[in-house]
Amino acid sequence: MQQTRALALVLVAPALLFLAAILGWPLVQAVILSLQDVRVIGGPADYLGWDNYQRVLSSGAFWDSTRLSVIWVIGNALLQTVLALAVALVLNEKFPGVRIARSWIILTWIVPTVVVVIIWRWLLSTSGGMINPLLVQAGIVERPVGFFSTPWTAFATLIFINSWRWFPFIALMMLAGLNRIPDDLYEAARIDGANSWQRFKRITWPLLAPTLGVLAVIGTLLSFNVFDIIWLLTSGGPAGGTRTLPVLIYETAFKGYRLSEAATMSVLATLMLMAFAIVATRTLDRSDRQ
Amino acid sequence: MKRSAAINALMVACGAFFVTLVGLPFWWVVSGSVKVPQEIIARTPTMFPHSFTLQHYTKLFDGSAYPDYLLNSLIVAVSSTVLTLVLAIPAAFAFFRLDFPGRSALYRTILLAYAFPSIVVLIPLFGLFAKIGLVDRLPALVIVNAAFALPFSIWMLRSFFAGVPKEIEEAAVMDGASTMTILRRIMIPLVAPGIASVGIYAFVSAWTEYVFTSVLILSDAKRTLPVGFSGIIGQYQIDWGLLLAGATVAIVPVVAIFALIGRGFVSGLTEGAVK
Repeated sequence: MQQTRALALVLVAPALLFLAAILGWPLVQAVILSLQDVRVIGGPADYLGWDNYQRVLSSGAFWDSTRLSVIWVIGNALLQTVLALAVALVLNEKFPGVRIARSWIILTWIVPTVVVVIIWRWLLSTSGGMINPLLVQAGIVERPVGFFSTPWTAFATLIFINSWRWFPFIALMMLAGLNRIPDDLYEAARIDGANSWQRFKRITWPLLAPTLGVLAVIGTLLSFNVFDIIWLLTSGGPAGGTRTLPVLIYETAFKGYRLSEAATMSVLATLMLMAFAIVATRTLDRSDRQ
Repeated sequence: MKRSAAINALMVACGAFFVTLVGLPFWWVVSGSVKVPQEIIARTPTMFPHSFTLQHYTKLFDGSAYPDYLLNSLIVAVSSTVLTLVLAIPAAFAFFRLDFPGRSALYRTILLAYAFPSIVVLIPLFGLFAKIGLVDRLPALVIVNAAFALPFSIWMLRSFFAGVPKEIEEAAVMDGASTMTILRRIMIPLVAPGIASVGIYAFVSAWTEYVFTSVLILSDAKRTLPVGFSGIIGQYQIDWGLLLAGATVAIVPVVAIFALIGRGFVSGLTEGAVK
């Protein structure tokens, strides 16, 4: 027993110490930083107390970004869930080429964001590009659309691009949930004369719901953190219309050199995510038990 | 299993739609990279290239710092993968097999790593790395990438260990094998597909990382592909041919790795992650 403990310690300690040093300690530092007034990394630090929090919480920019982040998370969740569920249902069937499709659907997720950015900047560009000529030819629009030129179209376009990148990943997770539904259930339902829609409603949906719940929590945390795709496509513009919280924090820290203020924002964002994660997992646990 | 013709047709149509949604943008980029400039910006886009040129690739490799970025990215991604695996395999095994005080509490704390915005640690980490002289050096990126890949890797590997039939282990114990021998000789070979999956995950995370690299690396020659290449976007008057060629080259390594061991990755992701 004593020996097992010593061995466990030897095996776990490197990973734990590493995480503590690279993620844990900086997290503590961020909290300390948020209570100080620091502009340059390593520069003089005056203790301020809650001043930064007061300033951030009363700033319009912070709440504008928070609102955008909420819309961002919800928009991505809806679009990705719909796309991913459809893909998962299709890939769960047997048809020629399904194995290849199951592996390669994830292509959008394994390439660097900068590639995703180039793909869509080019496809949606007003000179050259592929989408605009198609839309014009099909008579949907009269002249090429500047997808990134107004705040709302830019934001909607970003949600689409980010969802395009992530939906295959979510779909594969759902596929795993679908795989765990026993085939016998469908057989029995078929013998009882249930049609495809009834089978989906009575078997697939209720048994898949817990997986969907877990994915909603993970997906929310993941999409809240998305920064590079927004930064590289719009840098938060036009007119701050796509400046979600991570973009605002990055700008404040590395363009505005207000490190403490940025740390304050990131601590507040962390609290929001934690609160969401706790409430969400509680709700899931409760519905699991029912 | 019998299905009506209508359902079958619907399935095929849906399948075709999604293949198009994912595949067509990639096809346009890859095929665009060998078109001459006039064809790239032509008013009526062409589905298949009418021209063929390697001029964009020549420019990419001879006229820009792209080869440096590519090499840096490969070094960082491979090192991050190795570091992640070295730390994750023993930890995941201990979390799965060995009983020690605080096991489940620690395990949960590790997963908390994904509940806070990664940008929150960026500012203090820069300070830390500045103190120990790691700013503007590739090892800094390896450390950060491994740290962020580690929690998910441990989580994923643990469920692979859990999938090994208990009888195999028990037989080894009967034969007098020590815990370390069991880990080295039995568990690691048996969870090889899981290790491959985690390896792909770590590689892809490092290959695509942008934010930390953009802050921690200062000199152009040390940039990785995502950061260096996004600098090229702004640096020239948008030269689509060059960008499409660069994008194509950036896709190649991940696609190659994925083609070699990708099937295990997808099944690992789906079967391991939900257990």
